[in-house]
Amino acid sequence: MTKPPEDGRLELLQGTLDMLILRTLRWGPQHGHGIGQAIRTQSDDLLKVETGSLYPALHRLVKRGWLTAEWGVSQSNQRAKFYRLTPEGKKQLVREESRWAQLVKAIGRVMKPAPGSEE
Amino acid sequence: MTMRPDDRELDDEIRAHMALSIRERIENGEDPEAARLAALREFGYVPAIRESMRRVWYSRPIDAAAALGRDLRIGLRSILRARGLAATVAVTLALGIGANAAIFSVVRAVLLRPLVNRDEDRLIYIRQSAPGVGSDNTRFSVPEINDLKARVTTISSFGDFSTVEFAMVGLVAEPRMVKAGVVGGSFFDVMGLRPVLGRLLNAQDDGPKAAGAAVLTYRFWTTSLNRDASVIGKTIRLGPRTATVVGVLEPSVPYPDDTELIANVVTSPHHLGATMVTSRTHRMTELFGRLAPGVSIDAARAELTTVHAAMTREHPEAYPARANTQLSATRLRDQIASPARTVLLVLLGAAAVVFLIACSNVANLILARSVQREGELAVRAALGAGTGALRRTLFAESLVLCGAGATLGIMLARPFVALVARFAARFSVRALDVTVDSSVLWIGAGLAIGAAVLLAYVPRLPSPHAPAGLGLVSSGVRITTGTRRRLRLFATVQIALSFVLLACAGMLIATLVALRTAATSYDVRHILAFDVPLSATGFAGPKTLDLYGEATRRIAELPDVEGVAVGSFVPWRDAGTLGGVTFAVEGYTRADGEDDPTARLRLTGPGLFAVLGVPLLAGRDFSDEDIQSSEPVSIVSESVARRFFPNGEAVNRHMWWTDAYFGKHVPRRIVGVVADADDVQVVSAPAAPPLTIYMPVRQVGIGGRLFVRAAGDPYALVPAVRKIIREISPEQPVERAATLADVRAQILSPERLNAFVFSGFAGMAVLIAVVGVAGVLAFSVSARTREFGVRLAIGSAPRHLLTGVLREGARIAAIGIASGAVGGYALARLAMQFVEHVELPGLMPVIGAAAVLASAAIGASLVPAARAARVDVLQALRAE
Repeated sequence: MTKPPEDGRLELLQGTLDMLILRTLRWGPQHGHGIGQAIRTQSDDLLKVETGSLYPALHRLVKRGWLTAEWGVSQSNQRAKFYRLTPEGKKQLVREESRWAQLVKAIGRVMKPAPGSEE
Repeated sequence: MTMRPDDRELDDEIRAHMALSIRERIENGEDPEAARLAALREFGYVPAIRESMRRVWYSRPIDAAAALGRDLRIGLRSILRARGLAATVAVTLALGIGANAAIFSVVRAVLLRPLVNRDEDRLIYIRQSAPGVGSDNTRFSVPEINDLKARVTTISSFGDFSTVEFAMVGLVAEPRMVKAGVVGGSFFDVMGLRPVLGRLLNAQDDGPKAAGAAVLTYRFWTTSLNRDASVIGKTIRLGPRTATVVGVLEPSVPYPDDTELIANVVTSPHHLGATMVTSRTHRMTELFGRLAPGVSIDAARAELTTVHAAMTREHPEAYPARANTQLSATRLRDQIASPARTVLLVLLGAAAVVFLIACSNVANLILARSVQREGELAVRAALGAGTGALRRTLFAESLVLCGAGATLGIMLARPFVALVARFAARFSVRALDVTVDSSVLWIGAGLAIGAAVLLAYVPRLPSPHAPAGLGLVSSGVRITTGTRRRLRLFATVQIALSFVLLACAGMLIATLVALRTAATSYDVRHILAFDVPLSATGFAGPKTLDLYGEATRRIAELPDVEGVAVGSFVPWRDAGTLGGVTFAVEGYTRADGEDDPTARLRLTGPGLFAVLGVPLLAGRDFSDEDIQSSEPVSIVSESVARRFFPNGEAVNRHMWWTDAYFGKHVPRRIVGVVADADDVQVVSAPAAPPLTIYMPVRQVGIGGRLFVRAAGDPYALVPAVRKIIREISPEQPVERAATLADVRAQILSPERLNAFVFSGFAGMAVLIAVVGVAGVLAFSVSARTREFGVRLAIGSAPRHLLTGVLREGARIAAIGIASGAVGGYALARLAMQFVEHVELPGLMPVIGAAAVLASAAIGASLVPAARAARVDVLQALRAE
């Protein structure tokens, strides 16, 4: 999905990009470039989404009915395509978040077991 | 909302992203140019990313289909620009594809489809033949069948079938003659057939003590009884006996005979008689068998041969050495298909030839066009179209053409199938139910795609290595000698193939013309013939013969009737029913080793010769006094009189039949001599007129045919004649009223169909070939416009150009015809080694075919030749 990490950036975990996109759009519609920048700044520059992954993912989400796309004008008065979360997309976001929480918990247990279970 | 974004939309989005990215960098203080480069670098390879966005929406096959769809649209547009060419190509292909699809469906139905019979590959047909006396199917007698049943172990069960005619009363409104199969109890079990209604005949229906029972065939039930389910249980009269209808047979191939019903032996007095049961030579039964489990047909054949050899040793009197009696066994499926195989394969060959001609013609037209398009292709190549893309464009174009051809062809296939099925029905009963099914579609589509692929590879593409400049710069057409040779070769091949087909068709037409124009001995247009059978066996006592007497008397009183008489044999229509019978004459001793002469035996009522128009040459006609109790008499044909009584003294001498069938020899006084008349062959060999001997109907008690000579329209008399006979005997069938002219036409209809089908193929081939020649010449003329211009400019007469082009056409035709003649001759020679009945056409059809082709080809070259002569000098010179 992403290129090998350079300058200390992290590689995106398989399957998490969709969740990040949905999460980013929770606060309102945004265009592709904006979504990429938002993920980058919110992760303190640790996550960098390649356009080659971002745009196919956006189109995939539109096709599934979780996003809608609409041409609009950006803050800097430039034409851009804005993506917006649909009600179905919001439900998907909730599902993905709980799945993610479980995943983190499960992986956490494996990596740092509760005291007592190690010999 | 989920509208698929198109390429432009995707590009727009990428461009917007880029703009945002650059703007952000500039706002962050980067230099605009550096910002642009950095944004580009950051974005990645645009086409790949756009492609991966597209993939979300479009799968690969959809994309490929879209590309082909685009090509097809372009192809359609470029073809619409050359409408004449497109129409020619489509029609040409349609003829080829239609003919092939039709023949394929018939071949499939007749040769390849399995029978409906259960385990049909174990079902065999056993045939007894006597090649020594020219009989390829003598059938079996009951004692022979009993021998085989008792001794053969490789065949688990035998089924027997014989055909008789019954006068049937019941089921249908009018009494009528029906053909019926008479079978033993095992027949349906051996055949592996099921009823659609009621039950079939089984072992309980066998033997002389069973109750009369009959099964209706599906055809009779559907066509004559309207699928009436209430027929089951009804009683019908079959001649003197009665039978109960017990069931209806499922649709199946009627073999050996297409009958209306199938009854048990008790319904046929003849089958219970001593002759049938005890005479080893009374052979009228067909035999079927089911191979025992695990036995191969070869093993069964071997055992049959052994058993048959033993039988012939035990009963030498029934198997004369010169008859060379033999047994053979074939799978029923093959037996049914075998007569049709050769014909269908020949037709398949003809269809393939037509398809080949069609393809080569289309290839020609496309080649010619592609030469004219070399410039266009060069431009496309220069703009970056690869070889693959160019081929795809050409493929799309030829697909449009072939698709149109195939669609038309499949529409043509239906009438073709009907025609060919009627044709093939003469050879195989299975052709009766050939229908057009979806396989025609697949064959048509397959042929079209095959042709399209082929045609896409005909044109030469601009070579990637050759300088493209030439093609780009010049707008004129350059034609290489190679292309020209290829064009001429195609046209020559077409002429050659058409010539072969045309010569075959010519041969068939010549035969037909000979048959139709041959003089017959009868005044065919004014004689009306009826079948008025008296009983199943044809024999009748003196009392029933009175019916004929009274009927003829009353019919003779009808207005417009010039004469009426009873006979036993409708010329041509009854051919095959009464064979030759051996006889001897007073005062003629046969040479040593010579067999008794055989003559055709005909029963004749008083006045028949006058009605038929056969002149009485000496003596008298039969009269009403020639009855059973009076002196036995006969009348002989001129051929008999001339051969046995060369001095003209035939009248008042005696003859007698020597065939065992007639019992003791009864001398019959010859009372008259009539002119020769061939009532079997429509055209008889003039050198050997058939020997015929006539006996009076009332002395023998066989009749069954009524002849009426009409002054006006013969068919107008039919209702009156029928009414008179019904008034005398209400249950008397009166059937098949037809003039002898129509009887002859019906007998000849297979020949007519034969000639028609082949002429159809030949006509198609010639049409296509002529179009081909015209196309090649037209192209050659248009390519040489400049040359003609120059020649005209330096003083050449237009006439010379005209004859030059004509000469080119004539040369193609001549070479084509010559190679067709040589090739066709070689082919016929080759075919003779593998197939029976291959004939070489006579000189007339060959010359005729050559003349037709040559004049058609020259006629076709006239148009381009005239165009050559009319070339405008100035325009031609300015052309380049």
